[in-house]
Amino acid sequence: MSGPARGNGSSSGISVRRAVAALRRWGERRALTVVAAVTALVLGLLFYYPVGTVFVDAVYVGGEWTLGPLVDVLTDPFYRQIFRFTAYQALLSTAASVALGLPGAWVLSRFDFRGRETLRSLTILPFVMPSIMVAIGFVATFGRTGTLNRLLEALGLTEVTLLYSLPAIVVAHAFYNAPLVTRVTTAAWESVDASAVETARTLGASPRRAFRDVVLPQLLPAIAVGATLTFIFTFASFPIVLALGGVQLATVEVFIYSRVQNLAFAEAASLAVVETALSLGLTYAYLRYEARMSSSGRGARPQRRRPLWPASWTRRAAATRLAVAGYGAVVALVFVAPVASMLLESVTGPQGEFTLDHYLFLLERQRTGTSYQVRPLTAVRNSLVFGLGTLALALPMGVVTSVLTTRDFRGRKVLDALLMAPLTVSGIVVGLGMLRGLVFGTVVFGTRVQVTGALAVVAAHAVGAYPFVTRTVAPLLGGLDPRLVESARTLGASRVRALLDIELPLVAAGVVAGAAFAFAISIGEFDSTVILAEGSNSYTMPVAVQRYLGRRLGPATAMGCVLLVVTGLSFVVIERFGGRTGGRGGF
Amino acid sequence: MDRRSFLATAGAGGVAALAGCAGGDGTATEGDGTGTGSETGTQSQGTTTGTANGEMPELVVGTYGAFVDAPSTSPGPWLKQAFESEFDATLRYETPDSEVNYYIERALRNVDIPADLYVGLDVNMLIRIDENLDSGLFAPVDGLDRRDTVKESLEFDPRGRAVPYDTGYICIVYDETFGDGGFTAPETFDGLLRDQYAGDLLTQNPVSSATGKAFLLHTIKAKGEDGYLDYWGNLQENGVRVLEDWTASYTAYSNGEAPMVVSYSTDQVYANEEGENLAKHQLRFPNGQGYANPEGMAMFEGTDRPELARTFMDFVLRPEVQAEIAVRNVQYPATTTAELPESFAQYAQEPPEAVTFNYDTLRDNLSEWTSAWERQFVGN
Repeated sequence: MSGPARGNGSSSGISVRRAVAALRRWGERRALTVVAAVTALVLGLLFYYPVGTVFVDAVYVGGEWTLGPLVDVLTDPFYRQIFRFTAYQALLSTAASVALGLPGAWVLSRFDFRGRETLRSLTILPFVMPSIMVAIGFVATFGRTGTLNRLLEALGLTEVTLLYSLPAIVVAHAFYNAPLVTRVTTAAWESVDASAVETARTLGASPRRAFRDVVLPQLLPAIAVGATLTFIFTFASFPIVLALGGVQLATVEVFIYSRVQNLAFAEAASLAVVETALSLGLTYAYLRYEARMSSSGRGARPQRRRPLWPASWTRRAAATRLAVAGYGAVVALVFVAPVASMLLESVTGPQGEFTLDHYLFLLERQRTGTSYQVRPLTAVRNSLVFGLGTLALALPMGVVTSVLTTRDFRGRKVLDALLMAPLTVSGIVVGLGMLRGLVFGTVVFGTRVQVTGALAVVAAHAVGAYPFVTRTVAPLLGGLDPRLVESARTLGASRVRALLDIELPLVAAGVVAGAAFAFAISIGEFDSTVILAEGSNSYTMPVAVQRYLGRRLGPATAMGCVLLVVTGLSFVVIERFGGRTGGRGGF
Repeated sequence: MDRRSFLATAGAGGVAALAGCAGGDGTATEGDGTGTGSETGTQSQGTTTGTANGEMPELVVGTYGAFVDAPSTSPGPWLKQAFESEFDATLRYETPDSEVNYYIERALRNVDIPADLYVGLDVNMLIRIDENLDSGLFAPVDGLDRRDTVKESLEFDPRGRAVPYDTGYICIVYDETFGDGGFTAPETFDGLLRDQYAGDLLTQNPVSSATGKAFLLHTIKAKGEDGYLDYWGNLQENGVRVLEDWTASYTAYSNGEAPMVVSYSTDQVYANEEGENLAKHQLRFPNGQGYANPEGMAMFEGTDRPELARTFMDFVLRPEVQAEIAVRNVQYPATTTAELPESFAQYAQEPPEAVTFNYDTLRDNLSEWTSAWERQFVGN
């Protein structure tokens, strides 16, 4: 763009340079508006329009507007019972996720040890695991003949039957969501200003008191984000519930799915409307809480971490380390064992022997696969390209949304809740809406307009991903001292400059965490990917895993391991690179 | 490998048909082959001439993913190769994620359907189509040479749209080595209620899974419309576990979670190919019966290549092609004339008695039966 202005000092060069500079200033002034407009457009096209087409089914039946289906669902004691159970298991899952996730944040943000950053990056890995892989890993770990029971047997203890029960669902949900709690809390903990803690200590507060009065208030919004998101996700949980709980423990989402499959759209849509309303209400309640909680006057200097291996073993130091070790054991069972089981499955033959056949299958499919078959490398490439594309789109969308929603205006919380809606609507409904609204197309002025292909997949992923960026950045941004931005503005900086140079570096941990989420959402997304990529070569790694499932698990688990390795490496790169560039959204 | 097996099985017929094609001078018209019972060669002649400027006609076949892309064997690639090498046409697969629902949706929204044929239709899908669309989506098929080689008992469409090409028999697969060994599955449905089998059976959601639905329907056959809910109440008390789909339950079964799973009677064919221990793949037909769930192919109403579609269907019903599909799809052939290899006959078992509900009964009752089941089973 600035090509012609470079290199010579002629008068025309100067005027071009001036014009470019003017353009850049204009761009900077308008950047927020432009990104906000793009966000609105992408959201409208790839979320509100398709989802709207499905929700209409709940109130428009047989050519007439009606409340019948909604009333039917709300008054049916059977469905009310299902909703109650769904909320109950989501509540338990949330409690378990927070309980399992918080110690992780404590260890990651308060202790120093080799590989800490890598471990921190990898906490997001469960998030991208295809649910069928988690189910396979869980059956192998917690099943009748699984790792846990073999361990208990070796210790001379009685065996436990965990599968096909509520605890199995709760633990699996914690597997998915505890890392989320860990991540957002770690990001907040790392943004706690050390000087505030030191001041409190100088004023005579005990470490416990300083934590309670200074640190905890700054962590609570993050913990609440983690808990709210966990509740919303587990409320709409579906594959895990069925695979590890069975139909006896079915959630609302299970019924939406089966109604959609049987093309009973009015009933499916009614269930989805009620489900979404509940989730949105919860989001709204959370946002109000977040607004009350945000504190101000945060600086940039994080607290110092303690070494994991203490210099001297006082009783207190030993007790702390024992707690860390105990937590490590739980992590090993809940997170490492299922993943290890999957890895093991990928190198196990039909008679239980070691084999590389399943990986050879991937190579073979890569070599000889036809156009209508799924090839591993194409899937890897697509996943990475879509992931980067999603980052490029979702980061600005998320950051701008968080800037807009931390301003003060009437109805801000409502707008904020609506902007969070992509988190609360079930994947099945979004997928169905996309199929009908975008893939089949709509007739506009006599021409059928369709939206499919790679670009649509990226946009759809960004829609699902940007709320994570917003929710990891907004609470931190809201906590900044407004005078920082005001003084920068007085000194002539545009709003965008102030954002990029002042605010974002201060909330870098949140931005990087949001970026990792965006990437993870893109990698793990399934519903809209299969629908928008229909008939093209835009399939991703989870789609490949799904396609390779069959009578033997080997090929699918091998593909699952490829997914894990590729995404694991990507996260490490994102966080290392993101950390270095100061979290300016510079990817 | 694929090529060789094709040449071995389909050699002679293919040469003759190719010769027929080469001999055609393009004067025949589109309608020529219809309903006259002519040779395959002539039919393909009729279709090749149907396209302008000598371009290769393309037959678009919609099907489910595993038909073309299963990691083990799937008949799709072989079928495409065999068909293309014999006829002057290309075959393109479409594998929409929502399977036949995708086409129903398109029809509901008045969007054109690019596919000519669908492969992998079962009676439940057919009912769904008929409940949601005034048009049948598929056109009745006539004029197939080999139509009458299809087993009468597998016919599932009274309107003659779906042509069965293979079938699964749903039964119980059990693991003799379970626990301390010597496990056997009960011989009757009542046997499943005995204390010794508590928590031992895995099955699938009858609302959304084909095998689960077949098992539910089989219990309705056995216990009657009035008795099946009580029976399921007892099954539930005895710890039956109903999972999402076949994959989830078979995974749990393979991991030693339970000694019995509802699956297909062709289970040993696959286990044998994979070198697995056959003791872990024993079959039990409860009450001496297996529930038949045939798969069919059908031609979309709007296809502009009806001749080529018919040619394809006739091709699929050929004895040697039937055998190949059966082996690769690990299902039973649908025709009486299929020439099955010995290994298949040895390991696949046909039930002593095959049972199934016909289209009319299912159309009138299926949704009621499943929803009553759902309300009782999930509500508890």
